[in-house]
Amino acid sequence: MNSTSKPPSQDHRLVQTGDTRVSAKISRETISTLSVTILCLVLLFSARLINPALGSWSQVETVLILGFFLVVLSFGQGLVILTGGLDLSLPATITLGGILATSWIGAGNPAEWYLLPAVLAVCGLVGLASAIGVIWLRVPPFIMTMAMSIIVASALLGYTKGTPRGTAPDMAVALMKGDILGLPAPIVVLIIFVIVGWLFQSRSVYGRYLYAIGTNVEAARNAAVPVTAMRILPYVLSAICAGFVGIALVGYSNGATLRMGDDYLLPSIASVVIGGSSILGGRGTFLGSVGGALLLTILGTIIATLGLEFGFRTIIEGSIILIALLLLREELFQKLRSLKT
Amino acid sequence: MSTVQSDLSTIIRSNENPLVRFATGAGLIVLTYVALYALYAVQQPRALTSYSIAALINNTAPLALAAAGQAIIVISRGFDLSVAGVISICNVTLAVYPMDGPGGALASVVLCLAIGGSVGLVNGYLVAVLKLQSIAATLATMIICQGIALVILKAPGGSVSEWIVYEMTDRIFSVIPVSGLILGGVVLIWLALKRTSFGISLYAIGADETSAALSGINVTRVRFLAHVLAGCTYGLAGFMLSAQTATGNPTSGTPLLMLSFAAVALGGTALTGGRGGVFASIMGAATLILLQKVLFSSGVSSFYTGMFQGCILILAVVFSSLLARLGDAK
Repeated sequence: MNSTSKPPSQDHRLVQTGDTRVSAKISRETISTLSVTILCLVLLFSARLINPALGSWSQVETVLILGFFLVVLSFGQGLVILTGGLDLSLPATITLGGILATSWIGAGNPAEWYLLPAVLAVCGLVGLASAIGVIWLRVPPFIMTMAMSIIVASALLGYTKGTPRGTAPDMAVALMKGDILGLPAPIVVLIIFVIVGWLFQSRSVYGRYLYAIGTNVEAARNAAVPVTAMRILPYVLSAICAGFVGIALVGYSNGATLRMGDDYLLPSIASVVIGGSSILGGRGTFLGSVGGALLLTILGTIIATLGLEFGFRTIIEGSIILIALLLLREELFQKLRSLKT
Repeated sequence: MSTVQSDLSTIIRSNENPLVRFATGAGLIVLTYVALYALYAVQQPRALTSYSIAALINNTAPLALAAAGQAIIVISRGFDLSVAGVISICNVTLAVYPMDGPGGALASVVLCLAIGGSVGLVNGYLVAVLKLQSIAATLATMIICQGIALVILKAPGGSVSEWIVYEMTDRIFSVIPVSGLILGGVVLIWLALKRTSFGISLYAIGADETSAALSGINVTRVRFLAHVLAGCTYGLAGFMLSAQTATGNPTSGTPLLMLSFAAVALGGTALTGGRGGVFASIMGAATLILLQKVLFSSGVSSFYTGMFQGCILILAVVFSSLLARLGDAK
């Protein structure tokens, strides 16, 4: 699905000098998205060599279902990173979504059709609080979202008195375990999410605004971009995505825990960075992040079947993130380009 | 070198305004700490005995050292996530291979410094030479380090050598805590280092890397050294943590990751680089730990400690940048 991505029409790296018209036709984003996608496919198929059970359609299904959580998170994280921020409040917000879904709603509650959006709205408020701190109090995003994470986690600890109770709402279970048109529901939702996310980030005027802000806030302001509103939006969307993942996780495992979000923070950043985004903002695509998230998930499933100890699996995972980072380095792209011209 | 220094004074925001120096230096955080300690002493009169002071410093030491290393990287405008991995490796190494006696303790310290230093070498190579984004590169090295820690020790267990556990948490002449001496040593080394060309270059790179490079600073070398130095400091943090917990845990470093950034920020070190210091970050760490004690002795449920820590973190950052801006406006 990634091969359908066309490069954003303008190259936002205005600093580049010299005649690059020929090479600029293929933008950096396209190359990194393509290389991540190719790496994913190669891994999927070469996995057959390790274990014949791998590389089959059912494994692809597993990867997509497991990758669902990371893809959704990497959309929000990617938007925040695009505007030059970083969202460290994801773990607490995921847990918030999960715990509110089980304790407010639970199984067989007829009011879930308006309570689930209410849970997402509460999560959105966490994002709004982070945005207010970053924009008006001028607290660095790293600190602000970290502080929000500590605050929300502590509030949840007090709210649940240390032991979350309740069961998953029916809709959350249907989302993760149901079928739509013969396909597992999470895969259908994932595909729709990716298309909508891609349209938003790479094809809508709002996406363009975010790129402009990430490249240069002052220039964006001068170009009549609604800077304040567009800087709030990524944090709110990221928090809503995290809440959604929390609800989905509850549907998947039928219960919430206080640490359910902890394992997703660093992978969400890794997905975005492996997908070719700059951590400094202004560069990167959602399709790249999707590739990064799926790559990490594929790796996880392959490594899990190797039957290695957890420690060795962790080492391999870290090494592959490192290799991906090294392969996607700026200088390599420059070399690739000079080869073409 | 003197010409380099005079050039650099224009790059580094050297502000003579006392208000700015108070806000950006260690003044604000030291004042906060003293005020908080006074509150603690009112609640708990025992707090002023040398025993409780030593216990408090022992609790503070691991986070303070982690924050000290982190501060070096943050000043040069970077992030170092590998702190969690280094501490975990050092902790499990000391628990699985305990070496008794003073000689064993010395060997253990050297081992920890070597572990931290080698991780720092890798980070330095990735960030300074290969120019990877520091947060991404150290994320990868942190995950690898956590894996190594898990290979050395699968589940919490083992025991650190008794000599380290007793002597490193003890008091000399029943007054001066050993961990306090180590922290003091690190601060002294930093104060000396700050005045060398390396220290000045570190701030210059953090403030404006391009200008620093143009004024003849070898950015790659300074950034490389900073990572090695920070790695060694994390190694020391792992050593002190092991003396504190007396046992091994492959994930013992993880809780210190976010707190090390919180301590650095609380100490007034700007995460955008070029401003702040190691001493202020150590005081930031001490304040975070003291805050837990004060909340506990005020009868606040430990569930809500995080709420106070988070709010104080935000307030501290807002307040110090407000003071800095007020000073700039004059």
